[in-house]
Amino acid sequence: MLLAKTLRSSTFKLALIGIATFGVIASAIFAYVYLSTSSYLRARSDRSIMEEFAGLREAYGRSGRDRLIDLIQRRIADDHFADHVYVLVDPALTVLAGNLREWPKTASSGWAEFRASPSSQHAANQLLVRARLEPLPGGDRLLVGRDIDDLHNFAADIKTAVIAAIVLMFVVAVAANVLVTHRTVGRIEQINATSRAIMASGLDKRIPLRGSHDEWDRVAENLNLMLDRIEALMGEVKQVSDNVAHDLRTPLTRMRGRLEKAYQGPRSGDADQALIGDTIADLDSVLRIFASIVRIAQIETQARKGAFRIVNLTEVASEVVELYDAAAEQYGTQLIQTGEREVLVTGDRDLIFDAIANLVDNAIKHGRAGGQVVVSSESVDGQPVITIADDGPGIPACEYDHVFKRFYRLERSRYTPGNGLGLSLVAAVARLHGARIEMLDNAPGLKVRLWFSASAGAAG
Amino acid sequence: MTGGHRRILVVEDDPETAGQLVEQLATSGYQVDLASTGGEALSLGAVCDYAVITIDRMLPDIDGITVMRQLRDDGIAAPFLIISALGEVDDRVRGLRAGGDDYLVKPFSFLELLARLEALGRRSDTIAKETILRVGDLAIDLISRTASRRGKEILLLPKEFQLLEYLVRNEGRVVSRAMLLQHVWDLHFDPSTNIIDVYVGRLRRKVDDQQAYPLIHTVRGVGYCLRAPG
Repeated sequence: MLLAKTLRSSTFKLALIGIATFGVIASAIFAYVYLSTSSYLRARSDRSIMEEFAGLREAYGRSGRDRLIDLIQRRIADDHFADHVYVLVDPALTVLAGNLREWPKTASSGWAEFRASPSSQHAANQLLVRARLEPLPGGDRLLVGRDIDDLHNFAADIKTAVIAAIVLMFVVAVAANVLVTHRTVGRIEQINATSRAIMASGLDKRIPLRGSHDEWDRVAENLNLMLDRIEALMGEVKQVSDNVAHDLRTPLTRMRGRLEKAYQGPRSGDADQALIGDTIADLDSVLRIFASIVRIAQIETQARKGAFRIVNLTEVASEVVELYDAAAEQYGTQLIQTGEREVLVTGDRDLIFDAIANLVDNAIKHGRAGGQVVVSSESVDGQPVITIADDGPGIPACEYDHVFKRFYRLERSRYTPGNGLGLSLVAAVARLHGARIEMLDNAPGLKVRLWFSASAGAAG
Repeated sequence: MTGGHRRILVVEDDPETAGQLVEQLATSGYQVDLASTGGEALSLGAVCDYAVITIDRMLPDIDGITVMRQLRDDGIAAPFLIISALGEVDDRVRGLRAGGDDYLVKPFSFLELLARLEALGRRSDTIAKETILRVGDLAIDLISRTASRRGKEILLLPKEFQLLEYLVRNEGRVVSRAMLLQHVWDLHFDPSTNIIDVYVGRLRRKVDDQQAYPLIHTVRGVGYCLRAPG
């Protein structure tokens, strides 16, 4: 199964193309080496035959047939000329001298290659001869050649070696390719198997690492990190939808019950009027929760950077303080603003207002009745920061991270008004502005600081 | 524009919503024309003189914003009230505010729509030249930015004065909480709390406590209305 996948894989096919290209080039080089080697050897042998032929013909011309016969016989006897072949015939082709049994039938003059039987003791062995045949001035004919069996065998050996080398090369390359591709496909197959497992059962599966720290491990690591993130997000989504379901179910159930009761009961102008009013108010709170969720989502998609302007934090803070002044008064809380007159940041005024308003709202509601809430804006080392501090019960340090989650509410605030979306909106606004949220113990109370980036203020 | 000029063009493609709007607006004394496509809106808007045109952003053929721009280019001066679905309120829509028009996010209460229409339709014919506005025994001085009832001065914070001024300018008309946030605080979102009620509550104590009659009235489910008795 894995082998079939290996053979089908694109890596394998690509490598095959590479091997084929390389093989063709290597074969061409080997063929060239073979051809030039064999033609060199043949040319050398031809040259030595030509020299010998010329020497004998000269002796014939100078001293006559008998002298040539004598010379040939001496050459045949000489071990030095063991691989040489000589034949001298008269015009009737009767052998006068030489070490072949007869004048070759197939050839007349020029170069010839043929098989012939030697006249000596090993009559059974046919020789492969390459020879020069030419008529002499007296009508006789002379043949000078060499036994080229060795040469032939040598060339054949080279050829065999070359072919073997090429075949071996192909086999090894294909085998290596199969192995490498097999390994690659194996890693990919692990990733595929994990993906399938995730689709089949759930996001808790992870791709196994080999600990080799190679690129495959890195791919697997990154995919695992991505899966962690997705799992975390899915968890949040589930949490949010559970919370949405809970928070919406309460008013919706109330509305349904009320309407049902009224539907079955007798019509009464005043009671109906009150009922309709209450139902509309409940519907409005449901719609407000929706609006908040959509708004946070909108901020989180970073679609609003187009509305960024230079904003004076102190000015926005004073508008918030003014708006919440009446609310603070109702709780008997003193709402105080301090800080520098101008603290500039680049951002969306409405969103910054909203974020500060949420923090001030929380400080008033969850602070101490009759206590005080201080809003201060300043530049610390050129970094604009706004601080909202109350002197209420504060929140435990272990809750700091949680309070920014959507719909998160401390147990004790479960029954105070609010939908648990305020701080996640603050967090979304902060993220959009690249601002950092810091939560501190105000001893007593909670102090929330929003650190904006330094460059924003300088731009103003 | 005459006082009887209460003709409104509603551009809305959902038949049920459109039906409700037409019925309720007609009950409130408006003459209503309905267009269910951008094309219809263009042809109707060009021939009739409307007090206000309400237009849905998502229309089956042409985008509501495009229709509005087209009518503007044709010289139609009627104010537009853009109605968009939740989440569509982007800078493009917010930018319309600069042109003096208004927007409303679906779903909205009919009373909210009515309040907005009243404010828009009246916009062109009440450009107050007086520097002192009076409602019953309340007088507000727009120059010195002070308010008094029966000659007795009421001490107000700047935002409280602005709030009172807005209510006085809309005397006898219902203004919604969202309208107050928008016009007094320049905020285009709902802070999701009763902050406005608390704020108006304090203003009301300052203005109405120990007086012959109350001026600021709560309108259940919508907002407030400032009016003198009788």
